[in-house]
Amino acid sequence: MLLSYRLPREPSGPRTTLWRRLKRLGVAQLSDGLVALPADSRTREALEWLADDVLAADGTAGLWVARPATVAQERELATGMAAARAAEYRDLAGACRAAAGTDPTDRTRTLRRLRGEWRAINRRDFFPPPEREVAAAALRQLAAVAAVETVAVSEVAP
Amino acid sequence: MRWATRAGVHIDRAACAWLIRRFLDPDAEFVFVTDRNEVPADATPFDMRGVELGHHGGDCSFETILRRYELTDPVLWRLAEIVHEADLDDARFDAPEAPGLDVVLRGLSMTGDDAHTLAVSGPVFDGLYEFHRRRLLLGREPA
Repeated sequence: MLLSYRLPREPSGPRTTLWRRLKRLGVAQLSDGLVALPADSRTREALEWLADDVLAADGTAGLWVARPATVAQERELATGMAAARAAEYRDLAGACRAAAGTDPTDRTRTLRRLRGEWRAINRRDFFPPPEREVAAAALRQLAAVAAVETVAVSEVAP
Repeated sequence: MRWATRAGVHIDRAACAWLIRRFLDPDAEFVFVTDRNEVPADATPFDMRGVELGHHGGDCSFETILRRYELTDPVLWRLAEIVHEADLDDARFDAPEAPGLDVVLRGLSMTGDDAHTLAVSGPVFDGLYEFHRRRLLLGREPA
């Protein structure tokens, strides 16, 4: 599924909003004004609404169902998307390890935030890289540390 | 009155259908189409590209309908936050109900047709509405 779009340079608001939304969807940027997502009913709908946003901001937009001409090209696209998610999972795992050493209140709060981030990355992860499991394990470990702490606190409580 | 929307109903369309039947048109009849050209001449389209009752300015269709029909019930606007997050997930609102509701609706679309999804999700939205109505009245979580 491809979205081709052109937006006026000014105002910059719609460009920024569009880019933020595309990023959240996990698109692959093929070139300037051309992004791709694996085709399914959800990705299609998401790109359709974004295309309408572009039109509403006096831009031009088109939706295309396209197929890479070679397997190599398809693989390159999937590899690129997987690598982008892998980097996000690595950051998440790093944040989990960093949070393990903080005080219990901060740790619980961070755990909640990181779980939300994990779900967000999952939603845009179409070609799960091995880093996904590493991040999942880091999250579980942080949850385990937080749980031990909670038990210890409730035991000393009157 | 007849109302038309895209087939393969998900959270925003299910919530809109509930909103329409409960607050705008008790006798609403819904038609599900795969293309905008199939919308019957006498039907009002919603949650479709290029129609008035669609996504506008970052709003989902549920929010658009509330605005368009000037529904100011604060409970409905709280539900709108949930529907918005379940549909668009852009962190505009804090709606912890959203991810669960999203999964339930996606699951329903796998086990039955659109009429079934509306039939099952209707009472779910009734319950959500009642919960948030009581929360608003009490000023805290109802029991």
